[in-house]
Amino acid sequence: MTDQSSPAATLLPIFATPFAEVTLSVSASLNESLNALLTARATEERRDPDRRRDPLCYVSREDLFEWRDEPVAAVRNELLAGLCPVVLATTLHSEAEFDRLAVQARARFVVIRPDGCLPAQSLTLASWCAIYCVKAPSAQTGRADSGVLRLYESRLTGMFADATTWRMRHPFAGGHHLWHPRPGSMAAFPGHLLHEVALNRSAGDIVLLIVRARFENPGQQEVPPW
Amino acid sequence: MSSPLKVTPGFAVPFAEGRLPACERLNRELEALFLARESEEYRNPTPSHIPQAEMFESRFNLFRWPESCVQELRAFMLDSVARTVLETSTIAPAELARLRMHNHTWYHITRYAGSFVAHNHPLASWSAVYCVRPGEAPVDRPGSGLLRFLDTRAGAGSYLDAGNRTLRAPFATGAREVRLEAGQVVVFPSYVIHEVSPFYGRDTRITVAANCWFS
Repeated sequence: MTDQSSPAATLLPIFATPFAEVTLSVSASLNESLNALLTARATEERRDPDRRRDPLCYVSREDLFEWRDEPVAAVRNELLAGLCPVVLATTLHSEAEFDRLAVQARARFVVIRPDGCLPAQSLTLASWCAIYCVKAPSAQTGRADSGVLRLYESRLTGMFADATTWRMRHPFAGGHHLWHPRPGSMAAFPGHLLHEVALNRSAGDIVLLIVRARFENPGQQEVPPW
Repeated sequence: MSSPLKVTPGFAVPFAEGRLPACERLNRELEALFLARESEEYRNPTPSHIPQAEMFESRFNLFRWPESCVQELRAFMLDSVARTVLETSTIAPAELARLRMHNHTWYHITRYAGSFVAHNHPLASWSAVYCVRPGEAPVDRPGSGLLRFLDTRAGAGSYLDAGNRTLRAPFATGAREVRLEAGQVVVFPSYVIHEVSPFYGRDTRITVAANCWFS
C-alpha cells in the first residue's frame, strides 16, 4: 500500500500537552526532614474538610506554603525554581518578560498509604499543577501502575476507531500517561488535566506535595482569589 | 419588568437507570456460574488495560452463553438499552424493531483492591452495566467500588468563581458517582469516560457490562 513516489508529508503533533519531569536540588536529608514534618502533621485538624474522608489517603488543607518551617520553605523555593523554566519553555514570553510575572502558588500534601489511592481530580483557578515526590517506595515488581501518577487522556478521542487509529505511535497514540514518583522528582503539567494517583500496592507510604500555580502580569486584576 | 428567561441544559448526556424486580434468584445463579467459570478458559485473552490479579474479566461473548440465567439477563439488559434509545432518540418502536442490535458483553469479578481505569468504548453507541453483587460496602470506605462517570465538559470546572461555583443539577460540573445495588442497571452513551474506584470489600463485587451498536 506504500509507494516510494508518494509526495513528502510533514507530520506534526498539533495539539501537544506539556508535561515535564524535573529533578529538584533537594538533598536526601532535607527530604527526610520534610517527610518527618509532614508525617507528624498529618492530623485531623489539618485534613482538608471538603474532601471525602479516606483512612488510606490523607489530604491536607491547602496551606502548606504558609507554614514557616524551614524544610517547607526550602522545598517551596526549589519547587518554584524548577517549575518556572518549564513554564517559560512553553510560552512566547522572553526571559525578561517572564521575570516580571508574579507567581502565585498554593500547596497541600497527601499521604497515600498501602492500598490507598488519590481519586481523579483537576485543579481550579490555576494554570499549572506541580506534584513533588517527598517519599515513595521503590517500584513494585509486576505491578506497573502501583502508586503512579496517571494523567488522563485529554484529547477528544473520537468514538470511531479502526486498525490504524487503534495502533498509533507516539506522540499520536491515545491513552493515559503514567509517571512514577521518585523522591526528589517533580511532575509539572497544565492544571486542568485530570489526574489520579493509582492504588499504592506497596508496603510503604507515598508522600506528595500538590501545588497549584499561576502567573500574573504586573497590575493584572482579572484573576479571582483562590 | 424582565421577560421570562428559559434555562435549559444545552449539552445533556442521557443516563438511564432501572431495576430488575425480584432479582435474587437470577443473581444467585449468575454469581454461581461466573465464579465457576473464573478461569483462564473464560478470561479475556486481550485486555485493553493493565490486568490486575484482583479483577477477573471474562471474554466478551457472555450473551452467547446458552444458560437460562444468562439469557434472562440478556433480555433485561438489551431491553433496557432499547428503551433508552427510544426515550432519547427520534427512532420509533417499529423502526427500532427493524434494526439489528449487536453487543459485546462480559463480566467482572472484583476482589479487595481491584479497580478499573478510566476508559470509554469506541465503536459502540450505548453501554450498560448490571450489578449482580455489589459486594461489601465498608462504612469507613465510602469511596469503595464506585462506578464513576467523568464529566464530558472537559475544562469547564477550571475556572470557578462566585458566579459558577454553586451551580445546581444538571448544570454543576464534576464526576457522577454511582454505588450500584444488586439488580440495578445503568445505561449511558459509550463515549462517556468511566472508571471503577478501588473496591475494599472483603468479598466479591460482580458486574456485567455490555457495549451495543446497531445496524
